[in-house]
Amino acid sequence: MTKIDPETRIPDPIELDRLEEARLRAAAGLVPARAIGGEYAGFDQVGIPDRPPQTDREREVYSLEEGEMLVNMGPQHPSTHGVMRLVVKVRGEIVVDVDPVLGYLHRGIEKLCENATYTTVLTYVDPMDYLATMHNEHAPAIAFEKLYGIEPPKRAEYIRALVVELNRIFSHGLMMGFLALDMGGITPILYAFINRDEIVDLLSSISGQRMLFNFFRVGGVNFDTNDEFLSRLGTWRGNVLKNIEMNERMITDNEIFRARTMNMGTLTGRDAIALGVTGPNLRASGVPFDVRKAHPYSIYNELDFDVITHESGDSYARYLQRIAEIKQSIHLIDQIIDKMPHGPVQAQVPGIIRPRPGRAYAAIESPRGLYSVYSISDGGPTPYRFRMRDPSFISLQAIPKLMPGRLVADTMAVMASFDPVMGGVDK
Amino acid sequence: MDWELLLGVGRFLLATTLLLVLTIPTAFIIIQMELKVIASMNLRLGPNRVGPGGMFQSTIHGFKVLAKEDTIPDQADPSTFTLAPWMVYMAAAMSMLVIPFAPGAIAADFNIGIVYFFAVLGLSVVGLLVAGWASYNKYSLLGGLRSAAQMVSYEIPLTLSIVGAVVLAGTLSFSEIIEWQRQHGWLLIWQPIGLGIFYISSLAEVNRTPFDMVEADSELVAGPFTEYSGMRFGFFFFAEYVALFIMSGILVSLFFGGWLAPWPFPAQLGGFAGTLYGIFWFFLKTYIFVFIAVWLRATLPRVRVDQLMGMAWKVLLPLALVNLFVTAIAVVVFDL
Repeated sequence: MTKIDPETRIPDPIELDRLEEARLRAAAGLVPARAIGGEYAGFDQVGIPDRPPQTDREREVYSLEEGEMLVNMGPQHPSTHGVMRLVVKVRGEIVVDVDPVLGYLHRGIEKLCENATYTTVLTYVDPMDYLATMHNEHAPAIAFEKLYGIEPPKRAEYIRALVVELNRIFSHGLMMGFLALDMGGITPILYAFINRDEIVDLLSSISGQRMLFNFFRVGGVNFDTNDEFLSRLGTWRGNVLKNIEMNERMITDNEIFRARTMNMGTLTGRDAIALGVTGPNLRASGVPFDVRKAHPYSIYNELDFDVITHESGDSYARYLQRIAEIKQSIHLIDQIIDKMPHGPVQAQVPGIIRPRPGRAYAAIESPRGLYSVYSISDGGPTPYRFRMRDPSFISLQAIPKLMPGRLVADTMAVMASFDPVMGGVDK
Repeated sequence: MDWELLLGVGRFLLATTLLLVLTIPTAFIIIQMELKVIASMNLRLGPNRVGPGGMFQSTIHGFKVLAKEDTIPDQADPSTFTLAPWMVYMAAAMSMLVIPFAPGAIAADFNIGIVYFFAVLGLSVVGLLVAGWASYNKYSLLGGLRSAAQMVSYEIPLTLSIVGAVVLAGTLSFSEIIEWQRQHGWLLIWQPIGLGIFYISSLAEVNRTPFDMVEADSELVAGPFTEYSGMRFGFFFFAEYVALFIMSGILVSLFFGGWLAPWPFPAQLGGFAGTLYGIFWFFLKTYIFVFIAVWLRATLPRVRVDQLMGMAWKVLLPLALVNLFVTAIAVVVFDL
């Protein structure tokens, strides 16, 4: 610990806090707080929490051996996907341990939702996983419909499936770009944004908003399809395969990209199940679990699609899995447009919904995995309890398991291959 | 009074001043290329506000860097921290001394120009290492160590790759190598493997994508430059682009005939007109290679540090040795 002379330097606020705490403890007759573990590295090490370690795991990460140092990546770092913070223990360039520190984007969305009526909850969940806004609304909408005991009209279900698959395509497309960006390739992300912009414009023409669509309603969707949406959809459908292929050509067979992703961050199917990893990351490890197939919701049992898997479970497999799923989603969209029935898009629902007391659970397949909502009603206008399972939070658990023994450069590349979105992780 | 000597000193001072001045527009032009070329490769517009078509954007960036506050971290070592940008910039500027722009337009036509060039260019790694160490920042330190490892490894295949060319031409002077190429055809035909090794190693030497491990922004933020701001950062930035220009210029001189046109040099062009003609071809060819480097940056991801090392020691170095061996035997056997 560096000695601070209050005469010459501005005192460190953390240091002052600790002195104050020690004074208060002494005044209250408590024993002074002491650091657990002899090798505790001290406060002058960047990245160490300003308190003694609380758990065995924390003590393990924050005690340094000869030749090791802690590198603090984030929350402000060029490639931490928002405000993720990783405390990386390195020996030279080799990662010894990784400690993800979360909560920099915590907004208490679950608590906010418990104070909002069922209709307005659907607006609060939008900015959770900000690359899968439609999916964020889908699960609570299904849960509340179960609570209230209504069925949305068939056409609403089809429009929901359509927008959700569109959202999945741009989310997976961006993952291709971000993965390349974290390895220093700057062009794929911009190509990915061409596709994303087209889809976002498309979705804004049906929902009225560009990013946080606020499109789902309890018992249906906000708007029916309109001419602009349909004509944009046609244009987009004509371009999308060309767009994806343009990006794929830059990445898929690139020798450097392959050398950096193949056999990198390999997650076996068994480990993935044990960690609770779902979605494309699980299927890339060879486990054929897709919520759309395993527990069909909405209209997915009426559509024809297969559960795609890849065997190897490395970063490259996770990348290929995304591309395969983009193509599958396009196939699904073709079917949805083919089969879409006529009719209303919104069931008759009162302005303020008061479901009977009970509980409901709804799970959907978001671009990052199994996204589910559990809601309890006490008969009032607001949910009594509202909880969300965010898949990227679960996927992040795999990072500390995969990183030891790899290089610092791979930390970011492997993390990007899991495609976490911090808005969802921190809620 | 030794007028010969005075004239020599005066000529040298003039030439070095011109070269130092030349580094500024060179850096601006390459930065502008990087902004606009990569923009069009990314299917976006790029800067288009300052000047016609945004052509003064990089100049404005330069002035912005001048106007910024220059901070030195509390824990940094001020003397070495301030020395490092100067070392890196001077290494780049000094190696410009032997670049053959045109017949008669070389600041110093040493008979050991090639040796001088590699000796001086290697100095920049000292500056980067010092910057990484003096900054008191872990990213800087990792970046500085990476730069040391990378440059030391790539210096060896880089130097070995041109020994073949030197053996063929029988000289270490740039102007004589170009003269040899005028008589025998460009060294590109004689030394294709040497050219390949030289090009890959030179990208690594000047920290260009896909070998920009030193300032790998997605891992190390900005490597050794993380803590620098203002014009000190500007010097690093300038040095990097000037080094890219110099490397392309050396590549052109050694393998693509330097100031020679693709067809025989017109005999009636002598004196000043010949110099201008040479300068035109030199800059044209050099900027083609600068363009290719920018193109690579828009296309390729970055290799990992161990793959980078593996490539230098396991692929490029043996290949360079084989190339040198075969060339030497051919020179003896065919009496070239």
